[in-house]
Amino acid sequence: MAEFSWDVRSPLDRALLAGPYGAHGDAGVTLTEIRNFDLVQVMARRGKAVDMATVAKTRFGVAAPETPKAVHTADATLIWSGPDQFFILAKNGKHAMDWLVPTFAASGSLSEQSHARALISISGAKARAMLAKLSSIDLHPGAFAVGAAAATSMDHTSVTLWRGNDRDGQAVLNVLVFATFAESLWHTMLDSAAEYGVAIAHSEELT
Amino acid sequence: MRIVCPFCGERELGEFTYLGDAKPVRPAADAGEDAVYDYVYLRDNIAGVMSENWYHGGGCRAWLKVTRNTLTHEISAVEPAAGAGAAKVGA
Ligand SMILES: [Zn+2]
Repeated sequence: MAEFSWDVRSPLDRALLAGPYGAHGDAGVTLTEIRNFDLVQVMARRGKAVDMATVAKTRFGVAAPETPKAVHTADATLIWSGPDQFFILAKNGKHAMDWLVPTFAASGSLSEQSHARALISISGAKARAMLAKLSSIDLHPGAFAVGAAAATSMDHTSVTLWRGNDRDGQAVLNVLVFATFAESLWHTMLDSAAEYGVAIAHSEELT
Repeated sequence: MRIVCPFCGERELGEFTYLGDAKPVRPAADAGEDAVYDYVYLRDNIAGVMSENWYHGGGCRAWLKVTRNTLTHEISAVEPAAGAGAAKVGA
């Protein structure tokens, strides 16, 4: 029998070149790929949305979002992904499938997405200007506050977008994109950000 | 044209896919050939207000029932189609 050695790596492994890109000088946009996260999508079974919400609140200590929002808990982020469904984003296996299956056994269907999405974090003084080329969502701080989320499209690609906690006084916008579309969207983002100067990095830290 | 998704809010047309007339109802199993033929093939070609199915595939992936004027594109109502969202809608 053939032996397989799976080389687990980011879908942006080849495309991402850490360092400066585009216009010289201070980078207006910071693009950071977040790697090695646990991501599970939870969808209520028919007629079980209330039960799902109850067990989610018991497990996480906060209510899972029922409108387009992202909620931070001590060790996870719960992100709305559609009616009666949300993502659980976490690290280090704390909320991996094995632990979630018993929790949601009677109320929700779980779908393991850890290796099915890439996570890109966008910040910087020109982050909003750059995203305005790709997204029709109003990302003005007054319209898209910390914790706001959207299931939307960028460059005809479905994404889950949410605003994390500000860092150094600047908005941080996170994008989850299907792994097979990640490289295409990444290049589109680089093209859009080039005129502002880009600082490219990858990180293991969830923001 | 923009559609106000009941789950996501106002979004551009590019996030949605048009399915068609939301009025036809699947006939009962014993309704007969004519009723099935009507259901599968025959559509009104309405110049005015009609009820349509739209899919928010570029967003929350819910099916929506949109009341739209085909002459002006004015949308007077948007609601989740039956079954969209496991709990929010009956059926
Ligand atoms: Zn929607």
